[in-house]
Amino acid sequence: MDATERIQAASNFLLQSPPGEINDVLNDVRNIISDDDLLQEGVLPALREYNLAQFMTVDVPGTEHQSIVSEAARISSSESGSEERFLDPRSKTSFVFDHLSLEASDPQTVEPSSESEPFRLALETSTLTYLSAHFHDGVASVFSTQETPNRFVIQVVANKYNPTNYWAGRWRSEYFVDLNENKVSGKILVNIHYYEQGNVQLATTHEISLALPPAVVTSSPSSSASKIIALIGDEEGKYQISLNDTYQEMGEKTFKGLRRALPMTRQKIDWDKVLGYKLGAELSSSKGVFGNS
Amino acid sequence: MADLVDSMLDLMRRLPPTRTEENVAALIGICPDYADDLLGSVDQPLQLRTDRATGREYLACDYNRDGESYRSPWSNEYDPPLDDGTVPTPKLRKLEITANEAFDTYREMYYEGGVSSVYLWDLDDGGFAGVVLLKKIMTPMSPYEPSGSWDSIHVFETAERGRQAHYKLTSTIMLQLVTRRGSERDGAEGDRKHDKKDSEGWKREGEVSLSGSMTRQTEQDWPLQDSSSHITNTGKMIEEMEIKMRNLLQEVYFGKTRDIVYDLRSVDDLEKARRQRELQKELVGFIKR
Repeated sequence: MDATERIQAASNFLLQSPPGEINDVLNDVRNIISDDDLLQEGVLPALREYNLAQFMTVDVPGTEHQSIVSEAARISSSESGSEERFLDPRSKTSFVFDHLSLEASDPQTVEPSSESEPFRLALETSTLTYLSAHFHDGVASVFSTQETPNRFVIQVVANKYNPTNYWAGRWRSEYFVDLNENKVSGKILVNIHYYEQGNVQLATTHEISLALPPAVVTSSPSSSASKIIALIGDEEGKYQISLNDTYQEMGEKTFKGLRRALPMTRQKIDWDKVLGYKLGAELSSSKGVFGNS
Repeated sequence: MADLVDSMLDLMRRLPPTRTEENVAALIGICPDYADDLLGSVDQPLQLRTDRATGREYLACDYNRDGESYRSPWSNEYDPPLDDGTVPTPKLRKLEITANEAFDTYREMYYEGGVSSVYLWDLDDGGFAGVVLLKKIMTPMSPYEPSGSWDSIHVFETAERGRQAHYKLTSTIMLQLVTRRGSERDGAEGDRKHDKKDSEGWKREGEVSLSGSMTRQTEQDWPLQDSSSHITNTGKMIEEMEIKMRNLLQEVYFGKTRDIVYDLRSVDDLEKARRQRELQKELVGFIKR
């Protein structure tokens, strides 16, 4: 493999990292590639891609809260060559993000669009209430989109890392609220890694879309936003409960169908008999051969 | 560079089990010199092959491979054919034939389908080693029916000590379960416990995938009457191990991963619970006063 292919392979490994294990994967990859100079330059795009896709959380300088680093948080800049910046709409701060150390720096105040800010703020308030009601360690960000007015992005992420007990988990949800088309669409992604003497992973995807009832859209921003979040929260709760049904179905249909707990006889196998039957069958078949001759 | 192999194994323990084959191939591409170490220590899903002589299916893995060819346990032939392919000594081959028959019965009784294969090989110190392989795949008949696969790899080594034999068994089970869900299915099954009025407007499409592998080891001594005792002894050990591991898999797949989801998100309102606790504290303080 040449250098480009090695970086390609290393990047591919990094993008598959389970929740909270990117540093462990990076350590393994460093040892395997054993060329730090090549790696340092080469894997930055993969780290950036991973952070954006996984809704990496960051402490926002000068605030007491965290915000989400994602494609929606990226500030598209017209100047080429300028450093990439991300937005925390809650504190109206933009910052530069280091994809390796996961730290934010160079905070700057950003003036929100006066047109979309009232509804964005209403959505944010409802989202944060919902977040603290249903997530143990959740972070949420609500963005208005620069290109399309009346279109908002809600992102939620909750992480739990427990390396001492060999497990980690991540819940991500993302919703596009479109008031031009009166529609909400989004997805819930759950990833769980359990790795005590093994490697077991749960990966779920759940895509949803909903046409908003007229009553929801025509209310005041705060009432409309809280109704939208109530609909989303309801759907997420239902999804979480429906996972139980899926588990039950997998346990009863698939798992049992693959291998029984015990044979039909409800007893373990009598191995002497198994061998005896086989030998007996062999003997009688050879008797048959002798009898016919 | 033993730690290089350690790093590779650590990496394989973290990356998604559904992509094991692709990732092993990439690692071999990066470090071709370590191909044998890696193929010998990372368990990969078993490949189904058909014996050309008997038409019967068998399982291929690193243990019945010689170069690019795989040996069938039914005909003892390599495919593609090899003139000088490694085969067990006639005595061990006889035991291998009986072991294949015995574990085929075991497979039918526990798996009610699937494929099994047993391979034995002589060890330099006079003993022998072997691998018992079992695989079953469930293919869905319709898009929303669950699918899955089970791969068992039991590697053992035995040393005879007079009328006793010592066994070392390493067992790996790879299990994959996938279920797809969608609005279509919800509609088809009528009121699937959903509040119809609420969920009417939602369109849903999703997939739940549980996949992985677990490995366990054991060492045991068993009495030895004749060479066929090796089959009853390893049979009992493997049966016991699969029962134990099946329970473990059930616990981790359906218990642990579910609990972690609930550690991330709570169905019940946490704020309500917090307020309740506050109220309780207040009451306790009030009574104490």
